Amino acid sequence: MYEMGVFWLRVATALYGVGLLHVMALLLRRKSGFLKYALFAFLVAAVLHFVAIVELATAVGHLPVDNFFECATVCAFLIAVLFLFVYWRYDFAGLSVCIFPLVFVLTQIGAMETPMLTWPSTNVRNAWLLLHVMLVLLGYAALLLTATASVFYLIQERQLKSKKSIHLFKRLPPLGTLDNLISNSMAFGFVFITLGLVAGSAWAFIESGTNWIRDPRIALSFITWGFYLAMVFLRASAGWRGRKAALMAVAVLCCSALTWAAHVGLRSMLTK
Amino acid sequence: MRFSITGVNHKTAPVEVRERLAFDDRSLLEALIELKRRPGFCEGIILSTCNRVEVALTCEDGPGAGVAVDQFLADTRQVECDWVTPYLYRYEDGEAIRHLFRVAASLDSMVVGEPQILGQLKSAYALAKEHGAVNGFLDVLLTKAFNVAKRVRSETEIGVNAVSVGYAAVELAREIFGSLDDKKVMIVGAGKMSESAARHLKRCGATQIFVTNRTHERAAEMAELFSAKIIDYPVFTAFLPEVDIVIASSGAPHYILTKEDMKKVIGSRRNRPMFLIDIAVPRNIEPDANNLDNVFLYDIDDLQKVVETNREGRMQSAEEAEAIIGEEVARMLARLKEREVVPTIVSLQEQLESVRLAELARMRGKFGTLTAEQEQALEALTKSIINKIAHGPISELRRQASQPEGQHFVTTIRRVFKLGE
Repeated sequence: MYEMGVFWLRVATALYGVGLLHVMALLLRRKSGFLKYALFAFLVAAVLHFVAIVELATAVGHLPVDNFFECATVCAFLIAVLFLFVYWRYDFAGLSVCIFPLVFVLTQIGAMETPMLTWPSTNVRNAWLLLHVMLVLLGYAALLLTATASVFYLIQERQLKSKKSIHLFKRLPPLGTLDNLISNSMAFGFVFITLGLVAGSAWAFIESGTNWIRDPRIALSFITWGFYLAMVFLRASAGWRGRKAALMAVAVLCCSALTWAAHVGLRSMLTK
Repeated sequence: MRFSITGVNHKTAPVEVRERLAFDDRSLLEALIELKRRPGFCEGIILSTCNRVEVALTCEDGPGAGVAVDQFLADTRQVECDWVTPYLYRYEDGEAIRHLFRVAASLDSMVVGEPQILGQLKSAYALAKEHGAVNGFLDVLLTKAFNVAKRVRSETEIGVNAVSVGYAAVELAREIFGSLDDKKVMIVGAGKMSESAARHLKRCGATQIFVTNRTHERAAEMAELFSAKIIDYPVFTAFLPEVDIVIASSGAPHYILTKEDMKKVIGSRRNRPMFLIDIAVPRNIEPDANNLDNVFLYDIDDLQKVVETNREGRMQSAEEAEAIIGEEVARMLARLKEREVVPTIVSLQEQLESVRLAELARMRGKFGTLTAEQEQALEALTKSIINKIAHGPISELRRQASQPEGQHFVTTIRRVFKLGE
């Protein structure tokens, strides 16, 4: 019964993944391609998620909220249900930019409670870790670009508001160009960091079983990702620009720098 | 051969005179044909714009060339020569070259740095060349003038900034939005100034224009001008979230858009930037709206200030441009002087070559038939000798060409080598 619960939870995670892909496509292409399919997948995933929780509850004899993984599972389910309600009642699809990735990641964490398999070979293990590092670094590069462009946006905005000679503005690109750059680099950064996060947590899960969640470095990565998600959501829904957007981008960048610093000793993992 | 430029411009002649002297396409063509026919004129080009009419000519040396140009202008435009002469200016040789470069670089324009004049000069050149009125000296000189203009544009900031209110608005809009393609403009209050700004914006890519005015007729008139959509005045604020640029110039005695209004509008636009141009007096938009994030409000004084600063900037650039032109004129004159010594250099080379050939012939008589190899060796040896002899005088001739005392040196060389006249 317990294994079946875990199985359904993993199927639900995969279906929530469709929602994540939708958000990524939306951010990169700036138009919704398959929202209704993503919503349908999300709905099916929520049902399976419910089945999984029921089966897990039956197996342990009470609501499975005994550890972090189980809490994450239940929490993700509640968020999913709440979102579906809000969508049904208020037709607020914009919220999906935040909810789809969040529910996916939380369910993924929940689905990683039981060790599943071991590395087929050291090469696969090392290549996977490198892939994770590369994705995250690409994400950081895009984030750095986002933060820099946001600061330039702020400076240019101040100059335009101060109404001096046009001559002074020429040194920076126009606001519209900077805005496009910010949107694009933020979208790419989000895609890379999310994929990096999924790859990294999966690696850690296979590597150290259930212990990975207690690693503060991983917790820090999730917090950074959470900030990034908030930034993407605020920009996509409320159109944050200028001062607020610049401060947010710089804050996420600092957070990422901390996460990076925490992962400095990663090389030793490869040689283990 | 003399080079001269004769003409009138906005500084020397009032518009009544300029319009009388201006050529249209047909009369310009006829004048070019006439110019080619006139005795004494070698090459010529006619530049006719709303601010200047100029004839650049090369003609044979001799007295009366200036009067002939005045007469040519008076004849082709069918005016009295005495009537036109007081308005004419004439530059010759070096000064004419400087003037041509200044005109091409837009230093002599009414709005210094405006880019149209270069295009007009290029068209005039193309027309003259097409009809064979330019071939040789003027060809070289005009090509050089275009290069000088390009150099001035790239090395100074003479044409960088807008110097009219309408264009300043476009430049500001570009700084905000990047490209103006697909941008929507709303004109609130249909006046002359807003019409000019809207025309500039439309020309630069703004796709849709909305017009709203208290009196519907005036709105309809302007809407027709820009193929714009008319919005009812009482409800125009409802359309603002769709619009990227607002030009306000209504005669309302109070603010028609307050900070609070704009706060709502910018919220509905999800903070996408908005450019508000308030050219009304009294102002139409509450000045505090500029303090809202992503709202850029410029009133007429702000735009004037931008224009004024840019104009000062242009004047500074004009000084740098004058220095560049000074340098280019000196270079051009040196090049022309160099051309003057070319005949002497050619005679010198011919003279030495004839000596070489004569000596070779004399030697052959003494030694009889030579083998092909010996012939070749002798050719090489004698050529090398005369080249070495000629090298010093030729280099010095080129160097001396641009010096004030250069002519003495040329005479000395001609005498020493017996080059004749």
